[in-house]
Amino acid sequence: MLKLLKIVKDAGEVTIKYPFAPANFTPAFRGKPEYNPAQCIACSACAVACPANALTVETDLEKGTLTWQFFVGRCIYCGRCEEVCPTRAIVLSQNFELAVFNKEDLYERATFKLCHCLECGRPFAPQKQIDYALALTAQAGAGADEMETLKIQFAICPECKRRNHLNDHLSTLCDLQTSGEK
Amino acid sequence: MTMNSFKYIPGESHYVPEQAGVDAAVAKFKTALLHRLKRSAYVYRIDCGGCNGCEIEIFASITAIFDAERFGIKVVPSPRHADILLFTGAVTRSMRMPALRAFHGAPDPKICVSYGACGCGGGIFHDMYSVWGGSDKIVPIDLYIPGCPPTPQATIYGLAVALGLLEQKLKGKNHVEEEGEGAELIHPQTPLDVRVRIERQARLLAGYKQGREISDRFVNLLETHKLTSLKRHVQEWLEEENDPRLKEIVGQLEKTLHATLKGGSRSA
Amino acid sequence: MTQSAETTQNKPNNGDLGAQYVADVRQRFPAAVIDEERQTRDQLTITVKLEYLPEVVEYLYYKKGGWLPVLFGNDERTIHGNYAIYYALSMEEGEKCWIVVRALVDPARPEFPSVTVKVPAAVWGEREIRDMFGLTPAGIPDARRLVLPDDWPEDLYPLRKDSMDYRQRPAPTTNSETYSFVNDLGDSHNRIIPIGPMHVTSDEPGHFRLFVDGENIVDADYRMFYVHRGMEKTAEVRMGYHEITFLAERVCGICGYAHSIAYANTIENALDIKVPPRAQWIRTLLLESERLHSHLLNLGLVCHFSGFDSGFQQFFRVREKSMTIAEMLTGSRKTYGLNLIGGIRRDILETARKNTIALLNEMEAEVITLIDMLVNTTNFEQRTKGVGILDRKVARDYSPVGPMVRGSGFKRDVRLDHPYAAYASVPVTAFSFDSGDIAARVMVRVKEFFDSTAQCRYILDNMPTGPVLTEDFAYKPYKYALGHTEAPRGEDVHWSMTGNNQKVFRWRCRAATYANWPVLRYALQGNTVSDAALIIGSLDPCYSCTDRVTLVDVKKRKVTTVPYKDFERYGIERKRSPLAK
Repeated sequence: MLKLLKIVKDAGEVTIKYPFAPANFTPAFRGKPEYNPAQCIACSACAVACPANALTVETDLEKGTLTWQFFVGRCIYCGRCEEVCPTRAIVLSQNFELAVFNKEDLYERATFKLCHCLECGRPFAPQKQIDYALALTAQAGAGADEMETLKIQFAICPECKRRNHLNDHLSTLCDLQTSGEK
Repeated sequence: MTMNSFKYIPGESHYVPEQAGVDAAVAKFKTALLHRLKRSAYVYRIDCGGCNGCEIEIFASITAIFDAERFGIKVVPSPRHADILLFTGAVTRSMRMPALRAFHGAPDPKICVSYGACGCGGGIFHDMYSVWGGSDKIVPIDLYIPGCPPTPQATIYGLAVALGLLEQKLKGKNHVEEEGEGAELIHPQTPLDVRVRIERQARLLAGYKQGREISDRFVNLLETHKLTSLKRHVQEWLEEENDPRLKEIVGQLEKTLHATLKGGSRSA
Repeated sequence: MTQSAETTQNKPNNGDLGAQYVADVRQRFPAAVIDEERQTRDQLTITVKLEYLPEVVEYLYYKKGGWLPVLFGNDERTIHGNYAIYYALSMEEGEKCWIVVRALVDPARPEFPSVTVKVPAAVWGEREIRDMFGLTPAGIPDARRLVLPDDWPEDLYPLRKDSMDYRQRPAPTTNSETYSFVNDLGDSHNRIIPIGPMHVTSDEPGHFRLFVDGENIVDADYRMFYVHRGMEKTAEVRMGYHEITFLAERVCGICGYAHSIAYANTIENALDIKVPPRAQWIRTLLLESERLHSHLLNLGLVCHFSGFDSGFQQFFRVREKSMTIAEMLTGSRKTYGLNLIGGIRRDILETARKNTIALLNEMEAEVITLIDMLVNTTNFEQRTKGVGILDRKVARDYSPVGPMVRGSGFKRDVRLDHPYAAYASVPVTAFSFDSGDIAARVMVRVKEFFDSTAQCRYILDNMPTGPVLTEDFAYKPYKYALGHTEAPRGEDVHWSMTGNNQKVFRWRCRAATYANWPVLRYALQGNTVSDAALIIGSLDPCYSCTDRVTLVDVKKRKVTTVPYKDFERYGIERKRSPLAK
């Protein structure tokens, strides 16, 4: 009994002050993923990597849009989205104050336009993704003439491209898209 | 006691349970309860089948370090004593009836809280054959506390929000692509293949997080200083940090940089 | 209580292991073995004729020092036309290795001879094979449904590849629990005490029935798997290889990291992936830090169940330090989210390393005082000594694991028996006690806590350099292997077979406690009702919700429900028995 009392005395007051003072997490702590839609190219890498399916994408071919959705209620804070995002549009924060009354407040959505194929006219890939791939190609040193050609080639859907035997450029596009992961 | 019925979803051989209802009178009392409870809230936990991580964090929340009892929040051993029911887990088939019995066992009005990723949306288990996919599939939920598991701080925050002691902060968002919206390039001053190789190497050496922090700092130095003075600036950084592991990693990155530059910069 | 310790620093052996066992089987049963395939240096799979299966498993188990941690089915009809069943034996006397006995079952005759008759440890596994694949273990003494919920249709077998979509949710067949409880020893004079499914003493909800004669427990039975979610099926269909590491963590909230590693090891073993040494060391560090957390949790709960709530609060206060360590090293208080196939996702830099060592030292000093306080508390010895004894013979028959088996005189520990991660390079000690009671299990945990602290410090001081992740491998179809870890509660054993579509063909996960439940019955028998909570707690199934205890008076055909609180209170105060009502 005396031993217990001594332990209690030595421990002193141990209760944290939160919510009257900020909660102190270590810098390593993984909280809510914060999403910057302007930086997102709708490539879906995060949705593929998300083990819990908290991140999903849905394309609407009628409207020619792609909707990205993050349901924080289902998020397991693993940070795989951050790891695979090629443009750093999604980064884990330390935000943990996420309780809501209305389930709708747990959803974040972003809708992006799809590029319509120059040849067949069908929507096939997010315009922002194509623009980003072009910007990367320019950064990698493509000249002005080359860029003009690529601009057209990138706006042709894979099926038409296959028909046109343009597989080389398709694989370039794929390489650039996945450069964040590997 | 009324038990839930099931709804058939045609074509997929799927069934979903129908939520237990709350009548209007009870709903009115519930609002009053939320206002009056304030500093004496009795909580009963109902584990509907998760990994138990949530139970561990609830334990942490009610013991010395986090001490939810500061706010009068007390975990009680019977639903009959409870004002607040805390549903954890994705609701397995086996736990549906026990959970409903506990729900009906708690006196009205009561506040139902969905706790953790499994409770809020089924979590990683959301679409499996033996779960119903979240507590709101069987009972009406008043508050959602996300987390996997929610930290004790998040638990305290959530319950305080339920009791009106703190404000809800999170709001749903809906972005629609704007005209001319485009993603910015990362480190546009650095040749693409140099950046990609350094980032890949850093990730293998130090993981996605520390790897990115280190490679960013390294690439920033590369962008702000001439290649000839890079070594000196890197040295200053390493001396300041005095971390043998960091030294090893950055040393590897320097090698990668030089190998890439030697190999010509249009190889990507 | 006699104590012994065995320390191995190293296990040098580069040759392939296990060939002698197979030679012995071939000699003993000349016609039995059809095929032999090696997966790793210490894993061998032999395919035997179905009719020889029980004899071969029995022979390896009792005559060759084998234990049976896991058995499972696999629907291999798309590969070669048959189902396969696997019995993975951990050989622990003599040459230590894994011998997996495999047999094929013809889909036209979905039946196999039960091994349970000869080796009781097979009972749960065979019942599960029946539930999931619809293969009947002929002659099994206990043929009740095990895993699937009571409201699941009779003839729908989830793990058959062609039976259903992983998301299919058939209409519930019943709204009431239909499981029939077994009571071998009880007669109509005995009362029945059901506990759960929501109660204080379980990792997952479980339902216990104690058959009592007055205050004495005559027998016990339980219904587990209230949290069966369908993870194995989902892993085959919805997830990629990396994603399953995150799913495996959520098998259990306390041993999550151990499951994640066990799964990752199955794939890494099957494909012979060379995980970088630094990643192996950090994995080992995190596995041990998980043990620190888990053991402190259990020690706290032992205090709670022996009526010493101040002690409980103190252990939980100190336990927070282990969670801070986890947060610092992984970003999650539950060591979640750090594994990929081929390595880990975060490194440990100098600041984190130093802070971890400082916290370890603080925690160790505090735990020393707490343990001193605990063992000097008057009723601690009285409540734990000679109570809840797991007999050595029963332990041998059922292959229990972790502190449970080590408290009954067996020094089983896969960290030493089959070193994985960096355990061949880090000093580990296995502790065992002969008394088989609660005190023995508590002491195993106390010793292991300090041993783990020492290991963590050793790792932090000696970590190798180099990368923490490799991506230098390709997935090949239909490769399979075991993976295992010594979780705080005993070994987690997983098995995976790779598929041909960037997904696993089959993932089998056996959690530690799965192996311990079947012996609980024997640990409960002969004790008093007031000790039940403490005994169940000493199995360390960690703790979930509280419900109630129902007293069933079989004689009067009367059911009385009392709050679980009363049951727990009685366990703590040992006055005013709920049975006296």
